[in-house]
Amino acid sequence: MTTAGVGRPAAAPTRERGRRSPGAARAGLRLVRLYLASRRVLTCLLVLAACGVALGTALHWLPRTGAYSRQIPLIIEAGAAAAIGVTARSPFGEPERVTGARLPLLRLGAGLALGGAAFGALAAGSASGHLAGGTLGLLRDLGGLAGIALLAAAVAGGGLSWIGPIGYLGVTLPALTGHWNTPWAWPARPPHDRGAAICAALVFAVSLAAVTLRGARDAAARE
Amino acid sequence: MTAATAPARPAPPRARRVTPAAGPVRLLRIELRRSPMLWLLPLLAVLFYVSTYRPAMGNPPFWNIRSAMVQSHTMLVFAPLLAGAGAWTGSRDGRRGMGDLVGVTAVPRWAGQFATWAAATIWAELLYLGGVGVLYGVTAQQGAWGGPPWWPVAVGVAVVAASCALGFAAGVRLPGRFTAGLAALVVFLALAGGAFAIQDNQVYGQIWPLNVQGPFPPDSYGIFYPYLPDLAIAQLMFLAGLAAAALGALGLPAAAGGRWLRGAAAAVTVAGLAAAGTATGLAGTARVEAHGMVIPALHDAASDRPARYTPVCRPGTVPVCLQPAYRSFMPEVNAALGPLLGQLAGLPVAPVRVTQVAVTTVQSTPGNGINFGGPVIRGRPAVLYLPLAGVSLPGEGHTSAAQFAWFLRDQYAQEIVNELVGLPAGAVAIGLNQVGNPGHAAQFAVARALDQVLNLTGPPPPNDSSAPGPAGGDNAGSAPTGRSGRAGPGGTASDASSSPGQMQDAVDRFAAMSVAARHAWLGTHLAALRAGRIALSEIP
Repeated sequence: MTTAGVGRPAAAPTRERGRRSPGAARAGLRLVRLYLASRRVLTCLLVLAACGVALGTALHWLPRTGAYSRQIPLIIEAGAAAAIGVTARSPFGEPERVTGARLPLLRLGAGLALGGAAFGALAAGSASGHLAGGTLGLLRDLGGLAGIALLAAAVAGGGLSWIGPIGYLGVTLPALTGHWNTPWAWPARPPHDRGAAICAALVFAVSLAAVTLRGARDAAARE
Repeated sequence: MTAATAPARPAPPRARRVTPAAGPVRLLRIELRRSPMLWLLPLLAVLFYVSTYRPAMGNPPFWNIRSAMVQSHTMLVFAPLLAGAGAWTGSRDGRRGMGDLVGVTAVPRWAGQFATWAAATIWAELLYLGGVGVLYGVTAQQGAWGGPPWWPVAVGVAVVAASCALGFAAGVRLPGRFTAGLAALVVFLALAGGAFAIQDNQVYGQIWPLNVQGPFPPDSYGIFYPYLPDLAIAQLMFLAGLAAAALGALGLPAAAGGRWLRGAAAAVTVAGLAAAGTATGLAGTARVEAHGMVIPALHDAASDRPARYTPVCRPGTVPVCLQPAYRSFMPEVNAALGPLLGQLAGLPVAPVRVTQVAVTTVQSTPGNGINFGGPVIRGRPAVLYLPLAGVSLPGEGHTSAAQFAWFLRDQYAQEIVNELVGLPAGAVAIGLNQVGNPGHAAQFAVARALDQVLNLTGPPPPNDSSAPGPAGGDNAGSAPTGRSGRAGPGGTASDASSSPGQMQDAVDRFAAMSVAARHAWLGTHLAALRAGRIALSEIP
């Protein structure tokens, strides 16, 4: 071997640009799988399924109207939202942040997918009963609560993200019988209230963006 | 060099005596400094303000109303969060994979875990008691009558300890990232489910820790008679038992300590479970009495002695005397009942005095409801006994002073008129067909005429949405309610023996009389009217 070839551009790859090899696809899938495993997404899905079953069971016993018809479904929705927030926690912390540009996409995808799974599980659970507020109300309330959980994950860490939806619910449950007018207490507003829907969607969007870009607060050192 | 001159061997440093308690106490000090509960305190303080302090300040300064909030409102918010924080604290060693490391320390593992739980609980208790102290201090400054009830605070303290213990035990047993959230969720669901169980008439549901005095509204107990602690004692037993069982169960595994320690843990667990079960059984025997919930096995007869007070009276033709706690509502009571009492003064069976009482009758209803009786006229000379229990007071929720006065006029004044002319309570509202006796036609006409003249059945005043008060409230946006199931106005008058036209004519005739003539006629004919011996046509 001589140095004659040094400095020349490398030979062009034989395959066409833009076309990914099966190996790259496999690596991508493996990345997704490892990411989901590191976030305990499977456990989260089990929790979401349990929430759906709990909602379906509760709706058999609950009255169709009144404060109680809203309280227990909201608590279960808050539990599902807390589970989504907890999955934002990374067990790796700083080393993971410097590994590549795909991490925000994985966070965004996981957040959206888990939000959709939570909605699906709860909607399926409530299909056999009467859910006060309907599916639209479920979507709004769950979205807002999940947003609060993700926001808490970004601020306090994924492991403590449950504090957000549980604390928010503690404040807003009295509002169910109190005729609050603020749209920020969206669980207390009618399902077709536009302001409440905008507030819940705004919280979800901002929180998802925060978690996508920055991830959950690295609390590994404190844990 | 001889042994005599050899340098003396330096004395070994004196070993510090370590008392057996020094280890756990020092551990507790360390845990107090590093407890995760510290980080939660600002949030808990904000939640106390939003859920308890702000609604409490929106209500009139009554000890019973505000003390109920520190048990029900505060604990609904605190208990799930504390259970979650307890679980987070308890799962610390498991999450960090330090179980084996801390398992071989000098202090038994059970004692170490107890110190960790105690540190978290102490911080939570300090915050809770601080919040209660501020609330009670402000209430005392606002001139609340009587003294603060401490039983709801004691139950709150027990709820804090039990929530932390249950969460902590869950965290130790199942360390993981989902444990804390799930513990909070389960406690939240348990609290909500307890409320539902009570409403579903489950007798054992009375043990529910947020249940202050069963179906009694907060302003209906603890003023005329002492606060009945029966239910609170059962709740304390239940919560202490739960906490003991949860913490005792942590000492059962072999790694927790020696044989004696594990034996003690087993005894604590069994005792805790027994206490919780006994308390639940006792709560199942609770019954509604006139002044609160009574559990026969726990009841102290001394609680049945009325509280001493000097009534506040407004002198006049018919003096009105109120309990001092209600002193500020004297103008509204006078405005509502004064015109009627003045019109009736001097009549044979008309009240010569109005005296406020705790209740006249109390009856529990299905669905954790309660019915309070209205005012009654009794005795010779006649005294009007006026209960205000269960009536939304000015400042309670969004109730304004005008709405309070309207309610007294619309409900109580009509009942007083009915009682005076000999009609059953609610007869005006439900119509003559339901009275049962056509002989009541004249009584009905006189009562209707008095209602008309004194404007007792006017429309409710508009709700003052700008009134200061909590954003929450059962009666926001509506007129005050008596919560007692009394019939409201609006019934259609009809007579089994007289035509509606004749009835209306009689009402109009009587209403058109001068005040003096009406008074004179009633003075002469009231006894006959009450006995049903006056015909409709005899009304002038």
